[in-house]
Amino acid sequence: MTGPLLSVRDLRTHFVRGKETLRAVQGVSFDVEPGRALAIVGESGSGKTVTARSLLRLLPRTARIANGQAILRVPKRAGASGGHRRGSGSASDAHREVDLLALPERELRRVRGREVGMVFQNAMEAMNPTLTLERQLTEHLLWHGICGKTEARERAVRALGDVGIPEPERRIRTYPFQLSGGMRQRAMIAMAMLTEPALLIADEPTTAVDVTVQRQILDLLVEVKNRGTGIVMITHDLGVARYFCDDVVVMYAGRVVERAPTTALLDEPQHPYSVGLLGSSVELGDRARPLLPIPGSPPDLARLPSGCAFHPRCGRAELPRCQTDQDLVTLTDGRETACWKAVADA
Amino acid sequence: MPDAGEVLVRAESVSKVFSSRAGDVRAVDELSFEIMRGETLGLVGESGSGKSTVARLVMGLQPPTEGRVLFDGADLASVRGREMRALRRRMQMVFQNPYGSLLPHYTAAANVAEPLRLHKIGDQDSRRKEALRLLDMVGVNPRFADLYPRQFSGGQQQRIAIARALALNPDLLVCDEPTSALDVSIQAQILKLLVDLRESLGLTCLFISHNLAVVERLATRVAVMNHGQLVELAPAEQLFHTPQHSYTQTLLAAVLPVRGAKAATLVDAPPVPEEEVT
Repeated sequence: MTGPLLSVRDLRTHFVRGKETLRAVQGVSFDVEPGRALAIVGESGSGKTVTARSLLRLLPRTARIANGQAILRVPKRAGASGGHRRGSGSASDAHREVDLLALPERELRRVRGREVGMVFQNAMEAMNPTLTLERQLTEHLLWHGICGKTEARERAVRALGDVGIPEPERRIRTYPFQLSGGMRQRAMIAMAMLTEPALLIADEPTTAVDVTVQRQILDLLVEVKNRGTGIVMITHDLGVARYFCDDVVVMYAGRVVERAPTTALLDEPQHPYSVGLLGSSVELGDRARPLLPIPGSPPDLARLPSGCAFHPRCGRAELPRCQTDQDLVTLTDGRETACWKAVADA
Repeated sequence: MPDAGEVLVRAESVSKVFSSRAGDVRAVDELSFEIMRGETLGLVGESGSGKSTVARLVMGLQPPTEGRVLFDGADLASVRGREMRALRRRMQMVFQNPYGSLLPHYTAAANVAEPLRLHKIGDQDSRRKEALRLLDMVGVNPRFADLYPRQFSGGQQQRIAIARALALNPDLLVCDEPTSALDVSIQAQILKLLVDLRESLGLTCLFISHNLAVVERLATRVAVMNHGQLVELAPAEQLFHTPQHSYTQTLLAAVLPVRGAKAATLVDAPPVPEEEVT
């Protein structure tokens, strides 16, 4: 295989609120490789969730994807191409490339949930409360025309067993509300992985569960990753990023401010915002370290400061240069920052 | 600073049972602990462990099914009327969701002045002056005192809620997950504020959180709860360095480090009991 699994270029997503246009995502680019996990890290309003949802075009009505490309390399499926569905290209290459942002809705529906799986923060909201696990899981396989009813049930039971749900034969007959939070989260991962998607998008998959369960869910996702699935993980938790992700993209006010391999970013953050995030993070055993909160709060997207959106909160800001737009600059291989001062220091 | 050896709150084998059609739930099961004047008692546990029920029992918002809670020697279940009102002044609470805990149709200043009004302290002018002073103390610019809660960010809302909790100059501040709904950078601001206030005002705190790192930073002593029971209670340093109970060890081992060696510091934890499904 050559080239990344997913290649996002200059994604811009806007929200229309009355006469205002909120630029929630302003020119985000990144790649995801198969078998690797990319963390998109940021605080509320940074645009991380809108970025993820833009990829699947699961956005509210007020949102509009104004620009960008998201090229996904999908494997050509042999055999199970869905009897009653027509047309999946005829090129003989083992892969084809689709632009998730440009695909007609009809075709997108065949990619979404099949080639790209999604795991949400809250399984209770993501699942249909009136359907048993069996219906939710098999419907998915049947809709995509992957197999028949009997095989779908077998696959669903196997998938539940694979994610560590005990007695899957019995549990498959239960409703989502009858499961604990951790079990529901597992069931959702099982559902997302049923079609063996090449790419999994996980939006805060462990935020609503307890720490002990968080470890179990992450270890489950590690298995998924090791089987070659590329993963985009949206998280605000740097500990989760460190444990699970290979690379990190830090977002602030709709832009990527820093991108680096995980350990490099967390051990030596370059952008002042990343430095601030690390300084604000409390963790076990660092009681003696003084807390260094970032002053102020994230900006209102309708009234973004000019240039680097972080400069009003930044202790290193130098005007007027920080009031001009800052592009991502490559520092070393695989490492970029959008702070000219960090570049000058490097 | 108040005398540290004195007990402010004493819970004596307190239990709370909630009854429903599905049967009884022992949310809190024979808990005994003390909160000393001037200390911060951290209370940690996972969801459903009974932490928030303990908060309500300590605040006297719900009566225990068994046992009793003494606040400065008075049994909260037997005190009534005027005496109870006098006691309530001395204990205040900060909640997880600041917006949900503020009155949306009152301005920031009015929210902070409300406890003073309810307890008939001062007149309108003096209450407003006091509210502005408190807002300033918690880091909300008094220029914004006449804005409504929804016009503030989450962090600012939590500051307003803290100012309100401090308005009556309480002896005890119960904080139930005060930073859990906030972003990392804002969480650090609020934690710093709580540490500073505690030192300058000599507050006694019951600090409840599922976030062990946050509790480690604030607590003098820490209580760990699991399924309604107190599994371990120890000085913070001791609890985090040499946890005795296997559940505490499991909990600590599950925390993911942000800095330092990746996953290498994660020792093998005792296995987590499989979750039960109803």
